[in-house]
Amino acid sequence: MSPKEFFTDRYQRLGWAYSSVEVRQAIRINRSNIEQSSLIKRLESKGIKLERIPFLENGYWIVKSKFSVGATPEYLLGLYSIQEAAAQIPASVFRELKHRTVLDACAAPGGKTVQTADLMQNTGTVIALDVENRRLAALSNQLERCRVKNTVVYALDARRASQLKMRFDCVLLDVPCSGNLATDKRWFLRRTIKDVQRNAALQREILTEAAKVVQDDGEIVYSTCSLEPEEDELNIDWAIENLDLQTEKISLSYGERALTNVFGKELDDSIENCVRIWPGQTQGFFVCKLKRRHSRRS
Amino acid sequence: MNEFVTRLGATIRLDNSLVAETRNRYFLLSEDLKKVLSEDFFYAGIYLGKVKGNIFFPSFNLLRMITEGEANKVTVDEKTEWLFICGRDIFKQGIMKVSGSKKKGDLTLILNMHDESLGLGKILHALEEERKGATIKNILDIGDFLRRER
Repeated sequence: MSPKEFFTDRYQRLGWAYSSVEVRQAIRINRSNIEQSSLIKRLESKGIKLERIPFLENGYWIVKSKFSVGATPEYLLGLYSIQEAAAQIPASVFRELKHRTVLDACAAPGGKTVQTADLMQNTGTVIALDVENRRLAALSNQLERCRVKNTVVYALDARRASQLKMRFDCVLLDVPCSGNLATDKRWFLRRTIKDVQRNAALQREILTEAAKVVQDDGEIVYSTCSLEPEEDELNIDWAIENLDLQTEKISLSYGERALTNVFGKELDDSIENCVRIWPGQTQGFFVCKLKRRHSRRS
Repeated sequence: MNEFVTRLGATIRLDNSLVAETRNRYFLLSEDLKKVLSEDFFYAGIYLGKVKGNIFFPSFNLLRMITEGEANKVTVDEKTEWLFICGRDIFKQGIMKVSGSKKKGDLTLILNMHDESLGLGKILHALEEERKGATIKNILDIGDFLRRER
């Protein structure tokens, strides 16, 4: 069995018939820097046609553009970011972000960090972590370009977040994952089930650390762009069982309820509060909101 | 940094207690950020610029902050905006408005028609003079965000 047959057979058993997809290019307007209507007018005057993404507040699909939307003066001025539509979901599901203390634990290249700061209207504090100088430089460039003011970046592994000796109202865990076939045409050639298992183990370590640093009444948003249940539903089932966390319902008019039965294994019913997105107009994605089940003993 | 700002015919007041430095790079913090900042940070708040070999290199954030007050400013048309962010010098016919110094050798901020800061230039020939060819040399432009990633 080829890797492609192996994985597409798994998707079939999980309820999705594999087909090749073309992900639509999307942008997100940085509302801290410009009014939506002003930017749309400016871009349209340059021949860029936009379509509002119905399930996002500040997201637009690029319908037509004569040139790269990643090289316009408006992009370089930080008036918008190029951010795939599904990738705009995680930061938008926190209940309230303004004036909060937020941890973005796996922040580079910074699309969601900038989005979070924008939703906070640059109030409060974002602590953004990542490793490797190259990734940190990319993150810093995004912050400078988009005029973010409320963020501190540390070169720190998400699995060491408790070294900061801080507690957070909101923790964004857009964890390193195996990715998916929609954004990587060579995905089937590059990935094996061993990669998936290795990533799932790393993700559990990051979840464990997040559970240590979130406030008692705080929220964790966990997301991946992986279609593999080991990195999605099975990890959340494990977190419910082992980290004293519970899921919170995500209201979103896109995607499906996450799976509560994976290859015959029954999972916690509350996992259907999470959202699973199979590739289509967007890439594949998984988003889950978690809260502490019980307050910690002091 | 103050010397650089003065060269643009501008003044800027920063609370020094809110300025943080790491690896010769300078950042302006809010009170909230100052409370949580630890010494080993990589980036924080508003990046102001860096010092390399005794020369100060401003950030685009700092240029934007200077733009908000009185300073040497040149506003360019849309075509020149595009050429400038591609790294090109500015020709006289692309200049729509000049504020502050027009003197050869002075630094000036370059703005687009929306009064947004595109970067920094050096006046090559007095801006009153009618001349062919480049009038303002491109010193720094926002196209740098793309060049850095290459």
